[in-house]
Amino acid sequence: MMGTLALLGQIGLFAARIVQGVLTGRMPLSALAFHLHTVVIRCLAPVLAVVFPFGMVMALQGLQIFRMYGAERLLSPFVAAAIIRELSPVMASTLVAAQGGSSFAAELGAMRIKEEIDATDVMAVDSVAYHAAPRAIALVIACPLLNVLGCVSGILGGYVSAVWIQGEPAGTFWAALWDMTTPGDLWASVLKTTVFGAIIGLLSCFFGYHARGGAAGVGKAVNDTVVWSILVFIAANYLLTSAFFGGGTS
Amino acid sequence: MRFLESAGRFAYFLVDFGRAMARRPPSLGAILEEAFRIGVRSLPVLLVIAVFVGTNLALQGANAFAQLGGQNLVGTFVAMAGVREMAPVIAAAMIAAKAGTEMASQIAVMRIREQIDALEVMAVNPLWYLVAPRLLGIVLVLPALTILAIFVTLLASWAVVVLQLGQSGAVFLAEARATVTGADLAFSMVKGLAFGVIIALVSCFFGFQAGRGPEGVGRATNAAVVTVSVAVVCLNYLLSVVFYG
Repeated sequence: MMGTLALLGQIGLFAARIVQGVLTGRMPLSALAFHLHTVVIRCLAPVLAVVFPFGMVMALQGLQIFRMYGAERLLSPFVAAAIIRELSPVMASTLVAAQGGSSFAAELGAMRIKEEIDATDVMAVDSVAYHAAPRAIALVIACPLLNVLGCVSGILGGYVSAVWIQGEPAGTFWAALWDMTTPGDLWASVLKTTVFGAIIGLLSCFFGYHARGGAAGVGKAVNDTVVWSILVFIAANYLLTSAFFGGGTS
Repeated sequence: MRFLESAGRFAYFLVDFGRAMARRPPSLGAILEEAFRIGVRSLPVLLVIAVFVGTNLALQGANAFAQLGGQNLVGTFVAMAGVREMAPVIAAAMIAAKAGTEMASQIAVMRIREQIDALEVMAVNPLWYLVAPRLLGIVLVLPALTILAIFVTLLASWAVVVLQLGQSGAVFLAEARATVTGADLAFSMVKGLAFGVIIALVSCFFGFQAGRGPEGVGRATNAAVVTVSVAVVCLNYLLSVVFYG
C-alpha cells in the first residue's frame, strides 16, 4: 500500500518535471520534432493494420443485427459510431502503447543502463527535460493524429466488408454515413486520444527513465509500460465515455 | 525486404520447432508451471480490462441504439460484440502485452547472456526447452481466460445497464441469453486457442532473434508485442468470417 502511494507520488513528480521542462523551454524542440516523426512513422502501419479489420468485423456482425430488422441502411452510421467513438481510440492507443510507448521505454531504459542519463545530469543538463519530455509530448501529439487516420481506415474496412463482400449498395453506405455522423463524435474521439497519449507518454518515459538491473531491467520496463498504460487508459476511457456519451440515453 | 527476411526466418524457426517437438514431447511439469505462471499472473490485469470493455460496450450500445429507438437491443449488441469479438481479442491483446512481452524479454535476456548457447553446448535443444512449455502452457490457459473475460464483460455491462443507465436488468439478460449460443462460446474459445499459438510462437521467435545489448532486449520485446497485436486482429477477422460470415 505504502509502496503504491510512493510510486504514484514519484509518477506525479515526474509529470511535474516534464511539464516544467516544457514550460521553461528546456525541452529541445528539434528533439520533439524528431521523436514525433519517428513515432508516427513507426506506429502508422500497425494502427492502420489493426483498425481496418476491426471495421470489417463490425460491419460483418452489425449487418446480422440490422438484417433481422430490415434496417441495413443504418449499418454505416453504426460502424462509423463504433469506430470513431470507441474502437479506433482504444485500438490505436493500444498500438501506440505497444509500439511507440514501449520503444521509448526501451530507448530510455537502455540510456539509463548505459549511464547516458547520468552523463547528461553530470553535464548540468536537465535529463528529464532533455530526454523524457520530448518523447512524452511526442506521444501526446501523435496519439490523436494516428487515431484520426485509424478512424478513416476502420470506416474503409467497414466499407470493404459491407459493400464489396456483403453486396450492400455503396450509395446508401456513404449517404447514411454523412447524414448521421456528427463532428462532435470526432472531437470527442480526438480529446479522448489526447488524454490516452498523455497517459502512455508519461508512463512509458517514467518506466524507461527509472529502469534498473541491466538488460533484464529494460525488458521489464517495456513490459510494465505496455501493461500499465493500457490498463490506465482503458479505465480513463470508461470515465471519458460516460462523460461524453453516458447521459443522453433516455 | 526486411519483412520477407524475417518471414523466412520465422518459417525456419517453425520447422526447427516442429522437429524438436516430434523428437521428444516436453515435460508435463514444465507445461503446468508455465500455464500457472501465464494464467494466474495475467488474471488480475485481464479481469480489470474485461470490466472496462463491458462498461463501454454497454454505454456505446445504449447510446447507438437509443437514437434508433431500440432500447432493448443493448443486450443483443453487448452479447454479440462482447462474446464474439471484443472479449477474445482484448483477452489475447492483454496476454500478449503481459505474458508475451515477458516471454520475449526473458528469452532475449537469455540470448544476450549466452545462456541459450550454453543450453546448446549441453546438447539441450533450446526450442524444446524454452518454447514448447510456453506454447503448450498458453494454449492450455487462453481459452479458459477468454471465457472468464466474456463473463466479466457481460457482468460489467449488466452493472452499467442497471446501475448507471437505470434500464431493466431482466430485459438485458433475456436479450443476452437469446443471442449467445453455446456455439458462440465454443468459437470464442477456438479463437483464444489460435491467438495463444500466435502469441507464444511470435513472442519466442523475437526473443531468439534479439540483437546485442540492452537495446536488443527492448527492441525484441517491442517488435513481439506489435507483431502479435496485428496478427491477432487480422486472424480474428478471418476466423469471424469462417464462423459467422
